[in-house]
Amino acid sequence: MVEKVMSMTSAAKLVKDGMMLALGGNALHRSPVAFSRELARQGRRGLAAVGAAPGLATDLLCAAGAVDTVYFGFFGFENEYGLAAGFRKGCQEGRIQAIEGS
Amino acid sequence: MWGSDLVALRPEFYHVLESPFTGEKTVCVRALVPDYAVIHVQECDVYGNARILGPSYQDALLARAARKTIITTERLVGTYRLREEPKLTAVPHFLVEAVVLAPGGARPGICYPEYQQVDDAGMKAYLRAVKDGTLEQYLAAGEGRE
Repeated sequence: MVEKVMSMTSAAKLVKDGMMLALGGNALHRSPVAFSRELARQGRRGLAAVGAAPGLATDLLCAAGAVDTVYFGFFGFENEYGLAAGFRKGCQEGRIQAIEGS
Repeated sequence: MWGSDLVALRPEFYHVLESPFTGEKTVCVRALVPDYAVIHVQECDVYGNARILGPSYQDALLARAARKTIITTERLVGTYRLREEPKLTAVPHFLVEAVVLAPGGARPGICYPEYQQVDDAGMKAYLRAVKDGTLEQYLAAGEGRE
């Protein structure tokens, strides 16, 4: 087995413009938010995101303009936090193609 | 998929075939292959053997569907811990390209049992930044991070 521990900055650099990402977790549960923050800070563009119920980490990439296509079943935060705000805004502005598959 | 309009609406994803064995009509769904799955877990060793506590949702499947997986973890644990309960390893090391120690990495969301309530102030700050179009400043300020 090979040791693979690295910094958040280095791990986020593995993801290149235009790649397809599947961010884990569900809505506001175990969503890899810190990773998305770093990816957004690095200015990634043209990503596709996929998930059954993508969460905050995917929404943050939508809000940052990093994602242009989302494959999903349900995309929202639930409870008082409502719909996924960044995703919704991106769709309304025509920046994001929403491909619903459930 | 039977009964769903999606079969007709998205021919790029769905295709109806007859089973070569029984002749029964069967819906085939085209697979998406993500370049990376990115999964936040509670425990992982330095090799990428990752354990999820509580619900795992689709995460084990995402790691297997993707070409490679990046793990962010609340804690690095010794491999001996994972060997004690091998069936609890949700993502095995050979699927993983990177391991990042990221305590609080799911905030302002929840990561059971480390933090079990949504950070309300953090969520509101995020939603406000999205609404006001100030996400860049929000990210630069590192708001919501530990």
